[in-house]
Amino acid sequence: MLKYVAQRLILSIPVFLGVATIVFLVVRVIPGDPAVASLGDYASKEAVDALRQRMGLNESLPVQYVRFLGSLVQGDLGKSMITGSSIRDEIMHALPYTLELTVLAIIIGTLLGIPVGVYTAIRRNRMADYIGRILSLTGLSVPAFYLGILLILLLAIQFRWLPAVGGGGMDDLKENVSHLILPALTLGLVMTASVARLSRSAMLNVLRQDYVRTARAKGLKERVVHLRHALRSALIPIVSVTGIWAVSLIGDSVTVEVVFARPGLGKMMVGAIMQRDYTALQSIMVVYTGFVVVINLMIDLIYGWVDPRIRH
Amino acid sequence: MRNVLALGMALAVVCMVVAPDFGHAAGILRIAQNASDVGSLDPHFATTTQDRSLVDMVFNGLVRYKPGDGSVFEPDLATSLPTPRVVDGKQVWTFSLRKGVMCHPTTGVPSYPLTSEDVVYSLQKSADKNRSAYAADYTGMTVEAPDAQTVKITLDKPLSPILFFAKVANYSGGFIVCKKAAEKLGPDGMKTRPVGTGPFMFKSYSPQERVQLVANPAYFRGKPQLDGVDFRYMPDISSRELALRNGQLDVINGVPDKAWVDKMKGVSGVKVDVFGVGEVAILHLQTTAPPLDKLEVRKAIAHALDRDEFVALFGPGIGENVYSPVPVKFLAGGLTREELAAKGLDYKMDRERAKKLLADAGFPNGFSLEMVTSEMTGYRVLYESMQAQLAKVGIKANVKVVDHSSFHSMIRKDANPLVIYIAWRPNADIYFTQFLHSDSIVVTGKKPNTNFSHYNKIDGLIEQARNETDQAKQVALWKEAQIKALEDMVVYPISYQNQVYARSNAVDYGHELISVLALYPGITEKTRLTK
Repeated sequence: MLKYVAQRLILSIPVFLGVATIVFLVVRVIPGDPAVASLGDYASKEAVDALRQRMGLNESLPVQYVRFLGSLVQGDLGKSMITGSSIRDEIMHALPYTLELTVLAIIIGTLLGIPVGVYTAIRRNRMADYIGRILSLTGLSVPAFYLGILLILLLAIQFRWLPAVGGGGMDDLKENVSHLILPALTLGLVMTASVARLSRSAMLNVLRQDYVRTARAKGLKERVVHLRHALRSALIPIVSVTGIWAVSLIGDSVTVEVVFARPGLGKMMVGAIMQRDYTALQSIMVVYTGFVVVINLMIDLIYGWVDPRIRH
Repeated sequence: MRNVLALGMALAVVCMVVAPDFGHAAGILRIAQNASDVGSLDPHFATTTQDRSLVDMVFNGLVRYKPGDGSVFEPDLATSLPTPRVVDGKQVWTFSLRKGVMCHPTTGVPSYPLTSEDVVYSLQKSADKNRSAYAADYTGMTVEAPDAQTVKITLDKPLSPILFFAKVANYSGGFIVCKKAAEKLGPDGMKTRPVGTGPFMFKSYSPQERVQLVANPAYFRGKPQLDGVDFRYMPDISSRELALRNGQLDVINGVPDKAWVDKMKGVSGVKVDVFGVGEVAILHLQTTAPPLDKLEVRKAIAHALDRDEFVALFGPGIGENVYSPVPVKFLAGGLTREELAAKGLDYKMDRERAKKLLADAGFPNGFSLEMVTSEMTGYRVLYESMQAQLAKVGIKANVKVVDHSSFHSMIRKDANPLVIYIAWRPNADIYFTQFLHSDSIVVTGKKPNTNFSHYNKIDGLIEQARNETDQAKQVALWKEAQIKALEDMVVYPISYQNQVYARSNAVDYGHELISVLALYPGITEKTRLTK
């Protein structure tokens, strides 16, 4: 197992470096000049040129690239071209907001999605199934940002139960939780729709299997057949795509963080794009890439643990 | 299903537990701007609305624009508005500083009394292109400190009060920084840690989220009525609007659109303010490349356009007509419609005349033009409207949409024969210098800036007006320069667009809103929350 883990870790290094290189190039392909974006239209050409020089934008791309990779290898994410702040500190400030949002969304999505999927599979072609399918299709069709606004209108404006925007301080649990519920619910409901559909189809496949028929023939209660025999097998594909959902949730979290004005990585990335802060943008992208690489690595390791044949 | 019900009930319970007042401390004004983060809180690099409005609360100038009315100067750090003297052929302005003005404390630098040494340091910093975005405005200026309470400013060339006070007012390079704090923090530190003498002091900065300010108890005009300001960065208008409705915010930057204004006016507990200064949209016509090098063609374009159609894009009251490049409603030196109509320079929409002018110029079937526009709505809609209007006289404008930053770069490389540019400048001289003086011609000028029309025929008038100390004569020269530019049809003033903000009924700014240069309502020591 250790050898397998080591192999996977070594293989993820070129992937990580390749993506970092692509990120470096893509960031510079984005049209626009950070110096102009920073100083605005009022500044004279002299002031813009002076700032470009200080930002290191006059250096050639290879020089910038070598500097970027060199810093990255040393774990130095650099300083924001706009605010001069340490990007590592800014990311460490933003990361908890994104992590807590994503984790709670996965919990909500799983706790709601699996039971709904299982129930609609058991009640196939009955009213509950139709309602469940319509709701999950609706969930898949509604963009996260739109659902977020609807939830704000209902729970923050109409009932005034929760704050509409902000992240809440990390040092105040109550405030933090109150600011987390609505965005997590938004992402969680979007995920619920996917999970419910997948759970339903996985359950339907399993319910047709011979061993389920055998369990029923043995006279076991339906509840036992569904939960102990069918659901256990159906969970394998559901769990295996949890990683993919987690990756896709990271993408959705960008729009949700903007709508809810949460100071997470997604909002930071949008801000860096708007300000053409190359250094911040490439660092955030590298962190996102790191997430995806780590999640995929974990999936590979779990596969290897579940099915030892894969290790060979 | 039980899980679903249980989760729903749990949510309701959690909501009830955490519902209270969302962490709002009484006396803190919560304001949100249309921005994702700080740009720079070093006042000499604060060029965007979100940064200007924040540094406006932290710093002072030697003089200030009257809160809520940018047309009036008042003493700020200075005890009075001085009258210039001429010494050895040079104009000298001497300011006496108020006593007891304290610099805010910051890490490693306790609060200390502001002296002329700070003012000299600050104005010299404003003139340094490596330490200021406004350096070009401070050339030819020598600043000295004869004693701790006196500042002497000597100008190589004389200026009228209206032009000189603008350089030392609470706007752009005129903000006075505290020397010890600036040296301690360094250039990067100042970007996120402003230290000045204003009514509010920096408390904390949370990236992508907020800057928190607290009241300055030692403020020289008295302790502010607010306990502090929570300044939020929220680029999404839906978020700002919903947070205002929800009671999480007190003031938000709104949308310059009548439909939005009308909608928000209908919201209980919310007031909407529409006020100046209005950012002026001007069409610049490139005069050196065909076919726009012909005067008839440029005049045809002017007559093909209808100002009312442009104003209708934003709605009356939000957008307003403007007839001279310098907006007469806000600045000395502008021309009224009547003044221009009397000279036949108001360029009323007359498309038959436009077609005839095109035919006279040798383009009876019109022509095509290639240009770019910014993706920003304010720009894009103006370009699209112009495109539709020009099509009616046979001019086909092919407009490509690019991002805002690229748009600014491309138009400075002469990408557009027709440039619509939206800007506010604090006085007529800056409009003239940046848009109509030959030094500022894009690409080829001595100091390339935003003279998109390549116009070079009023340099003498601009320079004469700049150094005219008699204000009446100066205004007359500015008017003459604009009349000449309009006769040559190098600029077609389209409209100006007012600022739109919404606020809770509980917010009292403490002043009437007429015009604010920093493009926000202006938060001062008199601003208060009534609930």
